[in-house]
Amino acid sequence: MRDSYHEQLAEVGDGLIEMSRLVGLAVSQATTALLASDLAAADAVIAGDQAVNDLYHQLDDVAVQLLARQQPVATDLRAIVTGLRMSSDLERVGDYAVHIAKVARRRHPSSVVPVELRATILEMGQAATRIAVKAGTVIATRDLTLAAQLLADDDTIDDLHAQLFEQLLSGSFEHGVEAAIDLALVGRYYERLADHAVSVSHAVTYLVTGEHSDPESYAAET
Amino acid sequence: MAKRIVATGLSAYYGDTKAISDVSLTIEPKSVTALIGPSGCGKSTFLRTLNRMHEVIPGARVEGQVLLDDQDLYGEGVDAVEVRRTIGMVFQRPNPFPTMSIYGNVASGLKLNGIKGKQRLDEAVERSLRGANLWNEVKDRLGKPGAGLSGGQQQRLCIARAIAVEPDVLLMDEPCSSLDPISTLAIEDLMNELKDRYTIVIVTHNMQQAARVSDTTGFFTIDGPGQPGRLVEIDATVKIFSNPSEQRTEDYITGRFG
Repeated sequence: MRDSYHEQLAEVGDGLIEMSRLVGLAVSQATTALLASDLAAADAVIAGDQAVNDLYHQLDDVAVQLLARQQPVATDLRAIVTGLRMSSDLERVGDYAVHIAKVARRRHPSSVVPVELRATILEMGQAATRIAVKAGTVIATRDLTLAAQLLADDDTIDDLHAQLFEQLLSGSFEHGVEAAIDLALVGRYYERLADHAVSVSHAVTYLVTGEHSDPESYAAET
Repeated sequence: MAKRIVATGLSAYYGDTKAISDVSLTIEPKSVTALIGPSGCGKSTFLRTLNRMHEVIPGARVEGQVLLDDQDLYGEGVDAVEVRRTIGMVFQRPNPFPTMSIYGNVASGLKLNGIKGKQRLDEAVERSLRGANLWNEVKDRLGKPGAGLSGGQQQRLCIARAIAVEPDVLLMDEPCSSLDPISTLAIEDLMNELKDRYTIVIVTHNMQQAARVSDTTGFFTIDGPGQPGRLVEIDATVKIFSNPSEQRTEDYITGRFG
């Protein structure tokens, strides 16, 4: 029964999965742009964000239609309410990838990342890509074990973020203030986008259980 | 099949009392149009003007024009009975003919229209019952009285009876208001299927139902006691229920008046 309603509900889920695929790709490409000073990659991330924003608005419209017309209840209602939050989080992940790409673009053809910090940034970029992709898998599977793992992945990124700051402030950093600011910002972008992925995992937990995740851990992350 | 209805400057009276005033709207074929509004706003009266059922009440009359594609339903020489065959109606309370079997109910309109022969009738009855999503539930007891079915089944029987004569338009006046929620959903699903072939107009007190089933929604209201009902706005259902153009509509659908 209510086939068209269930089709529209599925549209919300599919849209979120597509958004997470796009932003996962964007984070990965932005990292390439940064480490390889790859202008084409940076431009692709910046241009690609339009598709993410379009999906974001499209999901808003579908959710409003469903709420206005179908009186969703129980899991269906939570799927729409959390869908709105998750699409907003994913949209922000996409924006942070754009910020990273813009830093790479601004410094091109120079590199943003000095040799001694490449390993840290590479690791951050890989961890951030992983967490963004995993957020998509959590949305698709509603797997709460995987959702919990995301918190651990976020800890890795927080540690790397702290490590990057130590390196910048150690006194041995000799690439000037501008480079230090760029790197501090890039580190911050990765750290923030991972937090939005964590927020997605909290939303999925609420969607499945109807219970909010531990608010203290939530507050600590945001 | 599935024709467009265009009403222009339509007013309806019960004796000296004007029930609806100057309604102009277009009802698109192959879609569901819902008419909503507070009690007494004239939405049911308007519905009944569309198949010339309004004038059945003594002293009742209609002004204005209703076109079914290019046919003027109130034109000279138009046979009201023929109009009612072309534009079928399903009522609030399921009203199967009480003395007739399930088969007899569906076949009655066909027989009146001169369709004869057991095979032709059998085929038409099965097609209509299938069209109303009732066939599987009744195929083994077609000879049993229609009145023995559940309320939801009786209403689907009435829909089967209405579509048996292959109308162009189906009018539904509160078709679910005496049904339980599951039977209501069954009828709503059925409307969604029937709109591939028919023009459907439904009057409903249940705004949520209008939101669920219709493509277009028209909102009627009255400005005060003794005033005639009027059409405030008609638009895509998603627009009416998410961002209506008229404040009056917004106030009604958000429960602030009416």
